[in-house]
Amino acid sequence: MFPMHFQLLQACLLLLACLTTLVVGTSNSSTSTGEHAANFFGRHDSTSGHTNNWAVLVCASRYWFNYRHMANALGMYRTVKRLGIPDSNIILMLADDVACNTRNKFAGSVYAEAGRRLDLYGENIEVDYRGYEVTVENFIRLLTGRVDPSMPRSKRLLTDDRSNIFVYMTGHGGNEFLKFQDQEEISAFDIADAFEQMWQKKRYNEILFMIDTCQANTMYSQFYSPNILSTGSSEIGENSYSYENDNDIGVSVIDSYTHYVLKFMEGINKTSQTSMQDLFNSYDPVKIHSHPGIGSDLFHRPLDKALITDFFGGVAQAEVFPSQEDACLIGHHESGSTSLPFAPESGAPSLPVVTSPSTLTVEMHVWDSQWKEVRKWFSVFVVGCLVSWVSFVR
Amino acid sequence: MLLIPIPLLSQGTYIDENALQPAQVNTYWNWGDVHTADLHMYQLDGIVDRNLTSEQRAEFFRMEFSKLGLAASTQNYTFTTSKGTISGNNAYAVMSSPRAAGTEAMVISASWLSTAGHGALNVRGISTVLSLAAFLKDYSLWAKDIIFVISDDYLHGMHAWLNAYHGTIPSNLHTDPLEHISGVIWTALNIDYSGHSFSHLGVFHEGLNGRLPNQDLINSFRFISHYTGGLPMTVYDHLEPADLVDRWSEWSVLPSWTPAFIRRSPQLQQYEYRARNVVRHIGYQARGMCSGVHGLFHQFRIDAITIFAVPAKGPHGFHALGKIVESTLRTMNNLLERLHASFFFYILTSPGTFLKIGMFLPSAILVSVAMLFKGLGEWVDAGWVREVSEVSLKGTGSLEKEPKTKDTWRNRRRPMLSVLITMVATHVLGVLVFNLLCSRRFDENRSFFVPAILAAVSMIPPALLPLLPKNTPEVAPSSVLLKSSNLCLASTVISIMSLLNFSLAAMLALTMGVPLATSSRSSSMTTSLLRYAAYCILAWGWLVLLPEEVESAIWNWEVLGVWFAPFVCIVYAPLVMQAGIVCLQGSS
Repeated sequence: MFPMHFQLLQACLLLLACLTTLVVGTSNSSTSTGEHAANFFGRHDSTSGHTNNWAVLVCASRYWFNYRHMANALGMYRTVKRLGIPDSNIILMLADDVACNTRNKFAGSVYAEAGRRLDLYGENIEVDYRGYEVTVENFIRLLTGRVDPSMPRSKRLLTDDRSNIFVYMTGHGGNEFLKFQDQEEISAFDIADAFEQMWQKKRYNEILFMIDTCQANTMYSQFYSPNILSTGSSEIGENSYSYENDNDIGVSVIDSYTHYVLKFMEGINKTSQTSMQDLFNSYDPVKIHSHPGIGSDLFHRPLDKALITDFFGGVAQAEVFPSQEDACLIGHHESGSTSLPFAPESGAPSLPVVTSPSTLTVEMHVWDSQWKEVRKWFSVFVVGCLVSWVSFVR
Repeated sequence: MLLIPIPLLSQGTYIDENALQPAQVNTYWNWGDVHTADLHMYQLDGIVDRNLTSEQRAEFFRMEFSKLGLAASTQNYTFTTSKGTISGNNAYAVMSSPRAAGTEAMVISASWLSTAGHGALNVRGISTVLSLAAFLKDYSLWAKDIIFVISDDYLHGMHAWLNAYHGTIPSNLHTDPLEHISGVIWTALNIDYSGHSFSHLGVFHEGLNGRLPNQDLINSFRFISHYTGGLPMTVYDHLEPADLVDRWSEWSVLPSWTPAFIRRSPQLQQYEYRARNVVRHIGYQARGMCSGVHGLFHQFRIDAITIFAVPAKGPHGFHALGKIVESTLRTMNNLLERLHASFFFYILTSPGTFLKIGMFLPSAILVSVAMLFKGLGEWVDAGWVREVSEVSLKGTGSLEKEPKTKDTWRNRRRPMLSVLITMVATHVLGVLVFNLLCSRRFDENRSFFVPAILAAVSMIPPALLPLLPKNTPEVAPSSVLLKSSNLCLASTVISIMSLLNFSLAAMLALTMGVPLATSSRSSSMTTSLLRYAAYCILAWGWLVLLPEEVESAIWNWEVLGVWFAPFVCIVYAPLVMQAGIVCLQGSS
């Protein structure tokens, strides 16, 4: 009985010693908390420089037979919400006449696949612009911020020059236009001008414009404002086709392009390092039955450095600014590497979200990391010895 | 016109309305429902055996609907015609849409008698409607009310019901207002299934007065029949040559002595098949008749067709029919507005091909335009007279020469008054004859009145002719003027008719085109009298030669309001008579 207890005590002591060395080593090697913060928030390896994410999802058609467009928009809604954009930052424009349509056999549900496994119209849907509110005027007012003072916050795009906006549109369109509810059209020029106004009024950092309609690629052909990455489902003269239809619902449930984009997105989580380039590489014109286009000429970052989560994720990315004393020193190091239009200016303390303590050092010694490795493996070795010793004694 | 059936002119049918989404649903009509239909059929057989009255039958149907919990009622109606009264009883039920406001409705109907004729009873069609009522009630996805109507007899039952529903009760119909009313009816399906089983589903689409339903309805039905039901649709009960490989010779009009390679030529068979469809279509449309109960709906702007189960030894029955009707209803249910996208003017040459109005209209319009030019030519000719006068040339040394003749053209007056009086008189005569035909006395003493009318109409013009002013050289002969105005009027009539009812215009172009253009005076009295007699027969001969047609046309006019009978009496016959008078005037 006793020796057994003694042995256990011994083992515990040894383990304690081990841990102590580990902790001491850590505190010794810790460069600074600021570094930690930077590591933590900067783990996305992002070069975007944005601090908030917004999504504008527009379904421009209505009526029962356009079920699939509603499902497209709701599918995107689910994805951006899942990846972390809160409802307050999602503007959903939806005719919203299918879920409770009398023709809907599954009342109160919208499905985007033939098996009806996932109800996109769950209990937590916030449609901001509904039914007849989905108009060209409202859309442009929303983008440019020219709304009535009485407009509630949920219907406003409260973005700033650090906002990454994901704009998704779907509906029936043609060469350089998209039809809104069989009543009016928005042209590619209208959207291009709205984006330019947003740029001039510093309402965005970057925009991802995605559109699924017939001849969709013409819709972004007129953009001229910087930092817009655009993609569409089909070339000029091409139709975008639906992917499948559910024989109990009785109509097509999703469009091909959106289906494959959403399928790709299902493999993405909040910490994913997948880039926009990977998304674009996943486009398969044979499966989609049209040729998706990519408009990256206005976008200044390399596509393989632009993360999916820069647009789809709701990343509260923090900027880490040095304190005033170190500002000059850091400015030296960073000025060469920034390529962002909104490179943080070292003298502006109003923007930072997290301010670093004064002990921040910039140099990262190679020796530090090696010491970390040695410690790691040493503790593993010690624990291994302990375990084998205990088992042998028994 | 002979070119119309050529396959090259036809184009493929397609669905134009986005909302329809045909044949995209799973159907749930199953063998249990077929069993219900079978049970209904046995009950109906019992009714037929017991020889129940129309009223008892309607009461039975009302009870059956009530048992399902539907708002059901019966309607008693009486039509008064020159041949006595026609009365009957309809039964109907309204299934309210569970989730919609009930402002729109669809109709599924079956009449007691079948289109197949010879007193065939539509027992299976009615069984289908009764069991569909039980089946459709269990679904909550109807955006429109569904009205089930079992109409009495063949046509007049539904006519009375529709008029009562829309509150347009004509003066000769006596009926009470309907007890249950739903919304605006958009589409209707009439089910006609009289045989034991069927191999094809035929579609009948011609409505009263040449109206046609929107082609989208037929095309959707064809899709659904093909993809959901798995059986082919045909136009009318005409099977396609491909379906009748070995039996085609029985159908073909080509005599058996023609060489086999001609009879078996696919192009010729295809032509004959299409020609048969076109002829049948023109036969219905020109007379303004409807080819089934569905045709009564069109006047209320309801798109409707009859689904006719072409009798055969098999293999299909209630199961296929129920599935197809269910799926068609789902498609009709998807409609957001009335059918408007596709064609209203077309000729179905085969189930999958049709002729646009632009392809067939010229055939009638060309004749009409030719008549117009001929008439205008006559008018111009009438205004000028050629005078040959002797001119003596006073030139020196030319006395021994023959005097030269010189033609001069001289204007002359063209008095239109007598011509117009003649024309108006013939039309008035037509009105009188029509009134007489519709009177009760005509029906009672048919054998007396027919020859009497014929004699009167052919004798009156020659008798009154001397009253007209004589021709003088100063004025144009009235026969030429009459011919010119007659041709112009006929041309106008054909042009207008071609837009309202192409088939009727085509028939007018055939019957009036050449005869009216060639009417002319003749030098000999006998020739002109013979010609006049020929025109008289062309104008009024149908009184003697086609008594059944006369009877049905008058019945159609009195009960259903088909204006073929008055049109023939008041427009067609007088026009031909005017051509006859042209012949007479010349000779006198």
